Amino acid sequence: MNNSVVLAANLSLPNLDYKALAPMLILFGAASIGVLVEAFVPRRGRHSVQFGLSLLALLGALVTVILMARSGRVVTTAGVAVSIDHVALFLQGTLIALGIVVLLLIAERALETGGPFVAQAAITVGSEADRRQATATGSTEAFPLTLFALAGMMLFVSANDLLTMFVALEVFSLPLYLLCALARRRRLVSQEAALKYFLLGAFASAFFIFGMALLYGFSGSVRLGDIHRTAVAANTPSTALLFTGVAMLAVALLFKIAAVPFHVWTPDVYQGAPTPVTALMAACTKVAAFGGLLRVLYVAVDWVQWDIEPILGTIAILTMLVGAILAVTQTDIKRLLAYSSIANAGYVLVGALSFDREGVRSTLFYLAAYGFTVIAAFAVITLVRDEDGEATHLSRWAGLGRRSPLVAGIFTFLMLAFAGIPLTSGFISKFAVFSAALGNRGPWQIALVIAGVLSSIVLVFPYLRVVVLMYLSEPAENTPTVMVPGAFTSAALMVGVLATLVLGVFPQPVLNLVDTAALFQR
Amino acid sequence: MYSAIATSHATGVLSVFWLVPVIPLASAGILLGLNRWADKWGHVLGVLSVGASFVLGLIGFIQLAGLPENARAIQLSLFDFIAVGRLNVDFGLFFDPLAGVFVLLITGVGFLIHLYATGYMAHDERRRTFFGYFNLFVAAMLLLVLGNNYVLLYFGWEGVGLASYLLISFWYTRPSAATAGKKAFLMNRVGDAAFVIAIFMMFAYLGTVNFTDVFAGVGRLSSGVTLAMCLLLLLGACGKSGQFPLQAWLPDAMEGPTPVSALIHAATMVTGGVYLIARSNPIFNTNTTAEAIVAGVGALTLLIGCIVGCAKDDIKRVLAWSTVSQIGYMFLGVGLGGAAYALAIIHLLAHGFFKAGLFLGAGSVMHGMHDQVDIRRFGGLWKYMRITWATFAVGWLAILGMFPFSGFFSKDPIIEAAFDRPGWQGWALGIIAFAGAALTAFYMTRLFILTFHGPKRWTEGQHPHESPPSMTIPLILLAVGSLGAGYLIKTPVKDWLDPTVFGLPANAEFGEPGVHVGHALVMWGTLGIVVLSALLAYGLFRRGTALTEQPAGPIVVAARKNLYGDAVNEVVFEKPGKYLTRALVYFDNKGIDGLVNGLAALVGGGSGRLRRLQTGFVRSYALSMLGGAVLVALAFLVVRIG
Amino acid sequence: MTISNTGFPYLLLMTVLPLAGALVVGLLPRGQVTLAKRVALLFSLATFGLFVAAWIAYKPNGARLQLHESYAWIPLWNVRFTFAVDGIALVMVALIAIFLPLVILYSWNETQTETGVPAKRSANIYFALLLFLESMMIGVFAAADVFLFYVFFEVMLVPMYFLIGSYGGARRQYAAVKFFLYSLVGGLFMLAAVIGMWVLGGHTFDWATLTSVDFSTTAQRWLFLGFFIAFAIKAPFFPFHTWLPDAGGAAPAGAAALLVGVLDKVGTFGILRYCLPLFPEASRYFAPLALALALVGIIYAALLAVGQNDLKRLVAYTSIAHFGFIGIGIFAFTTQAGSGAVLYMFNHGLATGLLFLVIGMLVARRGSAMVGDFGGAGRYVPVIAGVLFFAGLASLALPGTAPFVSEFLVLIGTFTVNKTVAIVATSGIILAAAYVLWMVQRTVQGTTNPELAEIRPMRKDLSLREGLVVAPLILLLLFFGFYPKPLLDVINPAVAATLQDVGKTDPPPAAPAPQEATK
Repeated sequence: MNNSVVLAANLSLPNLDYKALAPMLILFGAASIGVLVEAFVPRRGRHSVQFGLSLLALLGALVTVILMARSGRVVTTAGVAVSIDHVALFLQGTLIALGIVVLLLIAERALETGGPFVAQAAITVGSEADRRQATATGSTEAFPLTLFALAGMMLFVSANDLLTMFVALEVFSLPLYLLCALARRRRLVSQEAALKYFLLGAFASAFFIFGMALLYGFSGSVRLGDIHRTAVAANTPSTALLFTGVAMLAVALLFKIAAVPFHVWTPDVYQGAPTPVTALMAACTKVAAFGGLLRVLYVAVDWVQWDIEPILGTIAILTMLVGAILAVTQTDIKRLLAYSSIANAGYVLVGALSFDREGVRSTLFYLAAYGFTVIAAFAVITLVRDEDGEATHLSRWAGLGRRSPLVAGIFTFLMLAFAGIPLTSGFISKFAVFSAALGNRGPWQIALVIAGVLSSIVLVFPYLRVVVLMYLSEPAENTPTVMVPGAFTSAALMVGVLATLVLGVFPQPVLNLVDTAALFQR
Repeated sequence: MYSAIATSHATGVLSVFWLVPVIPLASAGILLGLNRWADKWGHVLGVLSVGASFVLGLIGFIQLAGLPENARAIQLSLFDFIAVGRLNVDFGLFFDPLAGVFVLLITGVGFLIHLYATGYMAHDERRRTFFGYFNLFVAAMLLLVLGNNYVLLYFGWEGVGLASYLLISFWYTRPSAATAGKKAFLMNRVGDAAFVIAIFMMFAYLGTVNFTDVFAGVGRLSSGVTLAMCLLLLLGACGKSGQFPLQAWLPDAMEGPTPVSALIHAATMVTGGVYLIARSNPIFNTNTTAEAIVAGVGALTLLIGCIVGCAKDDIKRVLAWSTVSQIGYMFLGVGLGGAAYALAIIHLLAHGFFKAGLFLGAGSVMHGMHDQVDIRRFGGLWKYMRITWATFAVGWLAILGMFPFSGFFSKDPIIEAAFDRPGWQGWALGIIAFAGAALTAFYMTRLFILTFHGPKRWTEGQHPHESPPSMTIPLILLAVGSLGAGYLIKTPVKDWLDPTVFGLPANAEFGEPGVHVGHALVMWGTLGIVVLSALLAYGLFRRGTALTEQPAGPIVVAARKNLYGDAVNEVVFEKPGKYLTRALVYFDNKGIDGLVNGLAALVGGGSGRLRRLQTGFVRSYALSMLGGAVLVALAFLVVRIG
Repeated sequence: MTISNTGFPYLLLMTVLPLAGALVVGLLPRGQVTLAKRVALLFSLATFGLFVAAWIAYKPNGARLQLHESYAWIPLWNVRFTFAVDGIALVMVALIAIFLPLVILYSWNETQTETGVPAKRSANIYFALLLFLESMMIGVFAAADVFLFYVFFEVMLVPMYFLIGSYGGARRQYAAVKFFLYSLVGGLFMLAAVIGMWVLGGHTFDWATLTSVDFSTTAQRWLFLGFFIAFAIKAPFFPFHTWLPDAGGAAPAGAAALLVGVLDKVGTFGILRYCLPLFPEASRYFAPLALALALVGIIYAALLAVGQNDLKRLVAYTSIAHFGFIGIGIFAFTTQAGSGAVLYMFNHGLATGLLFLVIGMLVARRGSAMVGDFGGAGRYVPVIAGVLFFAGLASLALPGTAPFVSEFLVLIGTFTVNKTVAIVATSGIILAAAYVLWMVQRTVQGTTNPELAEIRPMRKDLSLREGLVVAPLILLLLFFGFYPKPLLDVINPAVAATLQDVGKTDPPPAAPAPQEATK
């Protein structure tokens, strides 16, 4: 019903700034081509074609983003539906960069015949067909799906009105639902994860629409800017509308960033989804979701921050503590990382909630740094395997350090990064968000930092447990073998680790980047 | 009051006087450092080093004597030891008549005992180590008496404590020896703690720890402060000198080789406490209460020593307890103050000779009797070891205070001075000192008779024989000392010490000496009672004695148990200490550490509980999301409207 | 504050050189153990050489901070790579520079012989970790930028964690994790304080600048607590101490010597370098609390030490008691006590380090750290027994050994301002004698334990290599026991400056001499 209203509003085709939109257009285009490739290119060649295509597209998109950024132009285009400002550009760039690394994981085939994916998501598990496809080589649907998802995310972070935002949300969510179901091993869990994600995601979308409707009812517009203006201008009676609307919107976004109590889906989905997809969600989805949240907070409703702080603050504190505490007793490495990613969402919120440039800056840095680290972590997980796929149960990791010191060393480094030990990006990010919060000097920010410190203390324990398992305990006779990573995975791993190290030791360039990028346009 | 002695410029030997302690120290370093490469000649070096510093000391002494009486002291600062802020501890020597007397005693007697030890330890595989420790002791003791400030005194003080520990537990594979050493060190440490606190007080109140400055400043202190200072010093002295209440370690110290008992636990170290008080006389002079307490402690201890001494059957322990009581006399002396200081020092010198002689004699006996120490198992030895017998006899007569032996000249005056003290104190102290003399005569005679006379009560296979010259020569020299010392000491040393160091007649602070009993009477009385009790002992023991411990009255039993000193220590300190330690260990593991681990467990438990909410059912997930959404919405509205 | 710039980057090199060494050694092929050892030793000796040069370049009575170097790092936050040392830091650096070659030499065969260490473990990594640790520790003392300090402070944990966890004895996992968690808890509180200070102190981390900032009273107190908790855990002070016995007990003797002898000093050093000058008011405000903790620690830990049956744990507890003395010295706020505390940090490093190393030699021979498994060991290894006894004497602060000077200074300095504390603390010296002698008696004295006869290694007394390890420490302990001046000359000005920051001056004597009263 909303849609019809907006379409009615402007029938004439709005002008499009193609330079600004180029990155997204490229990706959407490439994705569509990818679909055609699936249809027409013979099975043998598909993988390489798809990979080449996606990689080219992403690189192209990256280039255009960089060009756009260098030009320093800030545009609102497609009517006013899309706003390509500094933040948007930075986030798009980050998304693409992370996307490329994830793509490498997706394309990896050395670890498993035919790669980590199967062709069809919906075949009944255990059926003849399903068993056939589990052994069949080459299913490349994942590539276009990934491109669609990334493109959607890029749109999401640059959407300037709620409607566009919603569309983008769906555009990047649906491919993810599908990708979750494509795991080659443990099909049942994979499908279950996909279904859960889908149902709950749909539920969240409902909240989004509801909130959008309320806000439209309040301000007569879906544009973030308009909402801001009306609200500022009017001492309108219908604040109930406004605030319920904001609340519903918040719920939807908090669901995507997996904040407590909307985090429940995360562990199951992270565990069930094929690990490369988990990496995609942990890295890119978080970036996108926070991008959206930041935009709403800073563009639409920043003037009510005093009212928002207590609520989101409470949620942030809960997110950090619950995530940390639950991580302690996890026995599955993927679930452990899921909870750690929940806690990290809390830390990012700490930055976001300081409602100033410092806040944006630190948030952006945190998202980028965390993304690379988490991808690398999941990349390691893809390497630890036994006869029936990845061995994700922690008990299986005992003595890994003795079996393959290098991989264990890398993973230890990543764990230390998560724990926020200096000389890793994790420390710089934590420092950034905490200093932003304390710099604000508000009571809530101080509370957030205290909670942050406490939860970090708790979090160290699970991270350390993994390290202890790998090094300090003797290898069990059934310790899984660590596969020799193929070129793709090694590349992804290297990028992730290097980024973690460099951002930890010489963060200055990126800090400058986020410093200049931390500007919204309204 | 205290009149500071001007110090003269150090010339000649005195300008290199630091060699006196350094030579033995170097020798000790060589012996312990070279390890087994010095096994062959180590003992020779050990003896020579002490001899060398004796010669140096003697020359220095003579040179000192040459100085004018009012400037008869040498300050020799070597280097800054500790200098922080206002505190400035100088590493320097202070050589005055008092120090001089001690230097001669330490190096002289020390030399003889070293010589003796070459024979006594000849067959011990760790002879070199022994001499290393022995030299270390001499060096530390010299530093103790030569230091020009209290910190250096403490430095040497701890040094001799260490050497004493090492030598008591020299045969460390014997548990008893190890324990005795530990006991000695710990009980000393108690005194040391008090001593060091006294030093802190000096710095806190006077801003200095140098003898001269402290003494100069004492006048400015309130009597309360000086009393505290004196008592702390006294406690320190008691620890070192085996005085009540810290006397229990000294008899156990006999676990060490006999030369050790002779040098450290009879002649020199244990008199360190007397030195400390004598050295600090300007402080004690300002506080009569403190002096009275010192005298009291001395009197009490000398009594304890005599009583226990009567009940012991171990030759060395009898001597040890007699040492305790003789030092009691010295404390009594320094406690009386004034001229009695000199008397105490004189008795200290005399005691140094005869007690060393007695111990070495005992050692010689043990040497000939397969290390038998039970006097009930001796008897009639005079035929077999005549030199030992003769020299021991001299020592015996000396400690009895028989004319013309040294004890007569050194002990009687103290008893007289005790009687001179006015008021009831004079009576009390005097009578105790008098009784002490009697008891001493009794147990020493018992010891002498049972050892050398009467029937043989040996265990099988004993072939007593005289010791080698290396052992007998020192015996003879020491005997000569204890015979002659009397005359030498009596007059010169007194005039030598009095004006320069102490400068006050006995009980000067009371003006006229109290007149209870005439000195002559005291003298003859003492001689009489001594002879009587000696005869009594002779009568009782000339036929020998029972070979096993006989049932006895409560007093004797108590005496055998050292008057329950050890029992008290055990009940009051050791037992509670053990329990406290155990309790704390438990508390640390279960309490503090338990708390920490408990916290971790708490988080873990909470995690486990929260985990159960993660059912895996979409419906419950959706429910929680809905709940959350409602809460958020309500919160917004509340915040806004409420 | 004036800063003397020296042309030559001593401190940077002293931090980088061991790091490079760690990389080289770590990357050597696994088989090349002997080569690895030699290279490691070489690097540590080179670092020591650099240190000697730095010591010579340092002017005792020059500026407060010397050997100053500064390089841009994170301009956005005004974080700089600033190195500079005052007397206190220099002495601490000395400790590391002296220790590392010895520990490497000591550990020559450790990874094969230390109890509970599977021979599988790569020895190369062990030596690489040692060098890495050295680099971090030098950095932590040399840093003059709070952010930089924090970085070293935290990273330092990692190598020590692996030294304990991978090469330790029984219960090494538990000990390592406990060590790491404890330290990190403190570290995170400190991080909050660091950020807070940065926010309130005008967005700078430069130590010299921050000393001139005066924070509000409340701010000071909170920031002080943030730092103090971290340092109190690291030191460790009662009641944050329970990790040390486990860590010290489980770590291989070489690492334990570094941990207790050097690394823990970061705690007390941090208090002197950061808490006191940056938050003077708060320091004065919290001094009674700190003194109380320290005092309890002295008595409590000493009594516990008496009750220990594991040699290494015993030494760990004695160190807790010693840290109590250091704490008293710091918070008494007198020049004597302060200089004494710093000197104590150095001497305690030497003494306890020696103690750990020699105990390690015994343990390696006997294959057990339990006191009960020894007994009369002196008969077999008289020289080692002698060294053990000497180390014991040093740690009970007997005159003639260096610790006496520091303990005496601490106590006498404290006495001038707080008699009760000083007197109670003095009773600690009796307990010290108790635990040392009790340990010596049960270990090397008394009737010889028959089991020892069967154990062949017990027949081998101090080897030449081991002699080279202990000799320098013994000589240093003796030398500084008689002539502490060289150290005090360096320490005194720094301590005086610190006390000036706190705004405390020594009390005059209660009954001053006339001429003193007038001036």
